[in-house]
Amino acid sequence: MNQEMKFKELIAQYSSVAAEDITNDMRFREDLGFSSLDFMSFLGEIEDTFEVELEEEEVLSILTVEEALNLLESLQEA
Amino acid sequence: MLIREVLEKSVEQFADITAIKWLSKKEILSETYAQMYEKIKKIRNSLAAKDFHNCHIALIGSSSALWIESYLALITGDNVAVPLDVALPVEELATLINRSDSEGLFLSEKQASYAETFLDSCPKLRKIWILTENKSESSSDSVNNISELMQDKTETIADAKPSPSDLATIIFTSGTTGPSKGVMLTQENIATNVASVEYESHPGTVLLSVLPIHHAYCLVMDWLKGFSLGATLCINDSLLHMVKNMSVFQPEIMLMVPLMLETVYKKLAAADPSIPKELIAGKVFGGKLRIIFTGGAHLDEFYIEKFAEYGVSVLEGYGMSECSPVISSNTPAQHKAGSIGKPLKNVEISFQDGEILVRGSSVMKGYYHMETETSETLKDGWLHTGDKGYLDEDGFLFINGRVKNLIILSNGENVSPEEIENKLSLFPLVGEVVITGENNGLTARIYPDQELLTKSPMTEDEIIAGLQQCIDEYNRTQPGYRHITKLILRKYPFARSTTKKIIRALAEKDEPVSA
Repeated sequence: MNQEMKFKELIAQYSSVAAEDITNDMRFREDLGFSSLDFMSFLGEIEDTFEVELEEEEVLSILTVEEALNLLESLQEA
Repeated sequence: MLIREVLEKSVEQFADITAIKWLSKKEILSETYAQMYEKIKKIRNSLAAKDFHNCHIALIGSSSALWIESYLALITGDNVAVPLDVALPVEELATLINRSDSEGLFLSEKQASYAETFLDSCPKLRKIWILTENKSESSSDSVNNISELMQDKTETIADAKPSPSDLATIIFTSGTTGPSKGVMLTQENIATNVASVEYESHPGTVLLSVLPIHHAYCLVMDWLKGFSLGATLCINDSLLHMVKNMSVFQPEIMLMVPLMLETVYKKLAAADPSIPKELIAGKVFGGKLRIIFTGGAHLDEFYIEKFAEYGVSVLEGYGMSECSPVISSNTPAQHKAGSIGKPLKNVEISFQDGEILVRGSSVMKGYYHMETETSETLKDGWLHTGDKGYLDEDGFLFINGRVKNLIILSNGENVSPEEIENKLSLFPLVGEVVITGENNGLTARIYPDQELLTKSPMTEDEIIAGLQQCIDEYNRTQPGYRHITKLILRKYPFARSTTKKIIRALAEKDEPVSA
């Protein structure tokens, strides 16, 4: 499973949208039905799954799946 | 009864038991009751030595051992603690420091950069202590690390004790209109609330504290109640790690707002159904969790049933900052699903036109410097809760509506729709706006400004994109719980009363153009 699909599988655990139907322009709160805490908890899992460290402050501006994927990639490159 | 007496009794009884545990990087650090109280005494005595008596002192930071020790140093001495929400914008925090007349401030290291703004804009503020035990690099008259208060030489300072009717803390809570209100709670208010919540647990019981520490429910029921029982309080370092930290600390008891139960349940439900529930519970909860106390907002009974399948009793309670905060609670011995439990033994309940009124030793002294709001809420010793409800034949309290226009989100945060509407109205494209709370988030129903659209015509898509930009801009400046997560574009203006006020009850009924 590639990274993006693994990422979407994790999203699907908090959403009624199936992993294969999740598109990168979807917004976590508005389109995927995440609560503010679902989002935090999901990102906590991203830390463990992809071995990166996130700061609460830097994730607050993330609205879409694409923005979260970009942040993950930038942390992996750093 | 004094908070200090509650704490000192525990320190005497449970001196060698671990009082606090927290994570530093990936290492678990801890302090016993005796070690914790040594620090509290040092901070308390140093404040006295620096002539901080009967002063209001604010605290800004997320949960930490030093935060709670500073808080306890204030309320076990003769000062008044003013815990503020670390997630608020710096200008709003400065306003609250001024409104509470705070002369000192404990500030977390992460927010240390706020110090200059506070000193410039808060004239009464004379000292800021940064919550780190590292020695201060540069000595300044107005900003120092808290290590300055933890020297050994202050033991001989006269130790001032408060009296039960003295103010212990001011906790800010959202008002229905206008600015937030500073709830004044006395020593007796808080100490009797701790004593009146009835549940027993063995010394060393592990509690994981996940609620924001500036909230009355967290301060009084996680920390003070926990300490009164000799519990070990574990600090959740970030909401990013709440679920993971349940496996790390393996709590037996937790306090949660409904939003947290909803998120944890999603993790339980996402597990492979062929795995026995006991194993799933072990993985998600750490294996020892038996009780979750919940409050702050209504919890769907569904979660009580579902968590019971995983061996966890969910006990719902009811309270508000104005009541220090617990009014009623289900307990392990007496509970009824769907109710918010029986009123505490120090609480009297009555009803006026269906509204729940509360009287008793935990009812606040009033709102700080807000006489009108105080007299509207406290009448003849009865606190008007703004909630409608009833007592059943067995004495359990139920809630079935609200009197005041306040949105209660499932994370327990009270949001004043009018405060947000005023902020959004500042955007030129926003003509009329009504905020409602739906599905765990806030919805903005907006009728665009017609004058602007006449001058510069826009398509519907352009209007929606323009309004979304306004919302995104607003969201960026606000803590997560005040974010607007849904926009509805209105085709027609809102219906108004004869006094030209928008009729909120009708705001949701008009056909939207799109959702």
